[in-house]
Amino acid sequence: MASDSTSNSPSSEEEEEEAESAGHQKPNVDVNVNVNTNSIDNSLDAIENQLSSIALKTSIDERAAVSASTDYDRIESVGSEIDDVIERRRSSIGESSSSRALWRSNLEVEVELEAEADGAPVSPSSSGYAGERGSSSSVTSASGTGDAIREVRDNGSSMGDDGGVSLDSSSQAQWIRDKRHADEDDGSVSWRRRKKHFFILSHSGKPIYSRYGDEHKLAGFSATLQAIISFVENGGDRVKLVRAGKHQVVFLVKGPIYLVCISCTEEPYESLRGQLELLYGQMILILTRSLDRCFEKNPKFDMTPLLGGTEAVFSSLIRSFSWFVFFLELFSLSFQGHQRNPATFLHAYTCLPLAYATRQAAGAILQDVADSGVLFAILMCKNKVVSLVGLQKASLHPDDMLLLANFVMTSESFSPICLPRYNPMAFLYAYVHYLDVETYLILLTTSSQAFFHLKECRQHAYRGCPVDPSARSGSLFHLNQRRLASDSHETFTGIGGPAGLWHFIYRSNYLDQYVSSEFASPVSSPAQQKRLYRAYQKLYASMHNKEVGPHKTQFRRDENYVLLCWVTQDFELYAAFDPLADKGVAIRICNRVCQWVKDVENEIFLLGASPFSW
Amino acid sequence: MASRRRMLLKVIILGDSGVGKTSLMNQYVNRKFSNQYKATIGADFLTKEVQFEDRLFTLQIWDTAGQERFQSLGVAFYRGADCCVLVHDVNVMKSFDSLNNWREEFLIQASPADPENFPFVVLGNKVDVDGGNSRVVSEKKAKAWCASKGNIPYFETSAKEGLNVEAAFECIARNALKNEPEEEIYLPDTIDVANARQQKSSGCEC
Repeated sequence: MASDSTSNSPSSEEEEEEAESAGHQKPNVDVNVNVNTNSIDNSLDAIENQLSSIALKTSIDERAAVSASTDYDRIESVGSEIDDVIERRRSSIGESSSSRALWRSNLEVEVELEAEADGAPVSPSSSGYAGERGSSSSVTSASGTGDAIREVRDNGSSMGDDGGVSLDSSSQAQWIRDKRHADEDDGSVSWRRRKKHFFILSHSGKPIYSRYGDEHKLAGFSATLQAIISFVENGGDRVKLVRAGKHQVVFLVKGPIYLVCISCTEEPYESLRGQLELLYGQMILILTRSLDRCFEKNPKFDMTPLLGGTEAVFSSLIRSFSWFVFFLELFSLSFQGHQRNPATFLHAYTCLPLAYATRQAAGAILQDVADSGVLFAILMCKNKVVSLVGLQKASLHPDDMLLLANFVMTSESFSPICLPRYNPMAFLYAYVHYLDVETYLILLTTSSQAFFHLKECRQHAYRGCPVDPSARSGSLFHLNQRRLASDSHETFTGIGGPAGLWHFIYRSNYLDQYVSSEFASPVSSPAQQKRLYRAYQKLYASMHNKEVGPHKTQFRRDENYVLLCWVTQDFELYAAFDPLADKGVAIRICNRVCQWVKDVENEIFLLGASPFSW
Repeated sequence: MASRRRMLLKVIILGDSGVGKTSLMNQYVNRKFSNQYKATIGADFLTKEVQFEDRLFTLQIWDTAGQERFQSLGVAFYRGADCCVLVHDVNVMKSFDSLNNWREEFLIQASPADPENFPFVVLGNKVDVDGGNSRVVSEKKAKAWCASKGNIPYFETSAKEGLNVEAAFECIARNALKNEPEEEIYLPDTIDVANARQQKSSGCEC
């Protein structure tokens, strides 16, 4: 199993960690090494079958979600037990402060935490961050204030959720629970054991966002991060990465906004940095970079009120970094499905597989809408593009689409937004309408007065929308029927055929789009998929490493997989095979995959979209 | 909702080494006092949540090192401060004389928008020592200096006995609240499609 899942103790687990342990609990999937004597042709046919199932008009990952959901029910109950335990621990000590000290040596920046308060719980040293010797959660008698604060927070978050979403109420309920473990702080053992933290703070050291825990209680920690960044800056240098044992602390400075990721997930530095860039982009999408001016005028500027109610947007983005089941979706009947999103490192988007004619028809309708003065018209099904049309010459960056889709799936229906890759300084207005539970239309315009016009556009678009002829009961792209029918699990998720192709991702460099296969059974569990995702991330980073690359091919065999990567001017192919796969066969299969992609490209890609130039 | 929202206040504590900055902070946050002197290295950060006039505050207290060799930490530490606490030891004249330097240094480094009205608080610490017999800075003298600098509030404190510590920090919160800027309306521009083309071509980093 994964090396990054070794140190889990039951009490330390949360979303990601839970997923992994769930993987452990399941009986290990038999890695049936199927090196039988079937001819290569047979094996290629098997793959062909597998490939053709992708072209079915369904989102690729529906079935896996259904089978995974039972695991997560269990996980949730474990999670709430953990919450109880933490709650008990907290109420027994009561806390409102923490203390740490920054010191410097001539050689390097380190962080030392000084336990000032006697009787503070001393954190075990098995995990945690640089200089974890005894961070203190200092005990004070102000436990009364703690309770009051919790109450206020609860009010705050539910008010923030009143923003209204055109989704159903069960997913609404999920938003409220979205920020988990809000009363943790850096003194909490559970907080320190989390595998991946994200922080946003201002250049004066004031906390803006933390993935886990209450931002205000983390004010001291936030100050420490600012001190480290500023100390290095004072020396005319820049801190990018600090390694501390298994942990990486990655820093990203964006003017007055500091972003930090602390992770022991063994993801490459470049990936983590890319994730921080996206996190920053998401913030810009909500507020634009006009923020910088506010900080210029007033370094004390507190932007947290402006971000009110958007925690779900950030948490869901962070979850999508992990190729991990969208928690939110799991508890809402209408939102089942995976949010695996290699787009977070591929800088490409993916399309809903569709008959060419159907996509063309959708494109024509969107073009009509765009001609009426809309900047972009995008028809999407969750994170998959059905069609997209822009005003002449206007182009959308895949990163912007990722951030937009993430925002749309977690928020309001008419809202000012900013596309950081398009123009980070100013707002556009996004009108979002859900055609069914998963399919939505986004119209972007520069006019804040355009609401009614956009509504008309939407009605027009809906009238002419190409309902798939095979769809039943009116769902546009009949994703839902597929799910309902999936009790029978009739779909083919083999072991990858005799040649052992377990999974692949194909990225078209001309189109900035990708297509990925479903997972063969040896990588069917969420934990295995996440590990594979991380392996791809590493592969991607090493192929794109500017210092030693760029490379054209890479063949890598370890105890988990054979990974094959092939980069040309036109495309990038990432494929995972059985660890015993034969190199020559693997290469032939990759060729076959590429050929197949070319054969069906008008169904799996959006062709003829406005050229993307940046 | 805006009026109920929690505020985070960045509070910087400055003063010569050994005047009791860390002790004051510990007394305030942890209600503990230790006679042992340990020099702060670089800076130390504490947080404390307080309720004041029906509002919740988080004080993010930056306890800086008094020794000169740490002064290079400069701008970064002072940036965006909501309040600055100047501490001297009433038994050491030099620590009182230094207040002027600390104040000016702070105003230079932090360069607040309105330096005249930036909220300072002055604390004369260690009033308990020797029953007050070794005292060299009189209350009158300290208050006169505070008055000359725009009526800075002054408190006589003892970190050891917890005297006036709570009151002093409450004043800090009140001061910062008074200084709270008017709620600004955040209104970035909307993209002008014609202009956007230009901006994009110049702003594209990839």
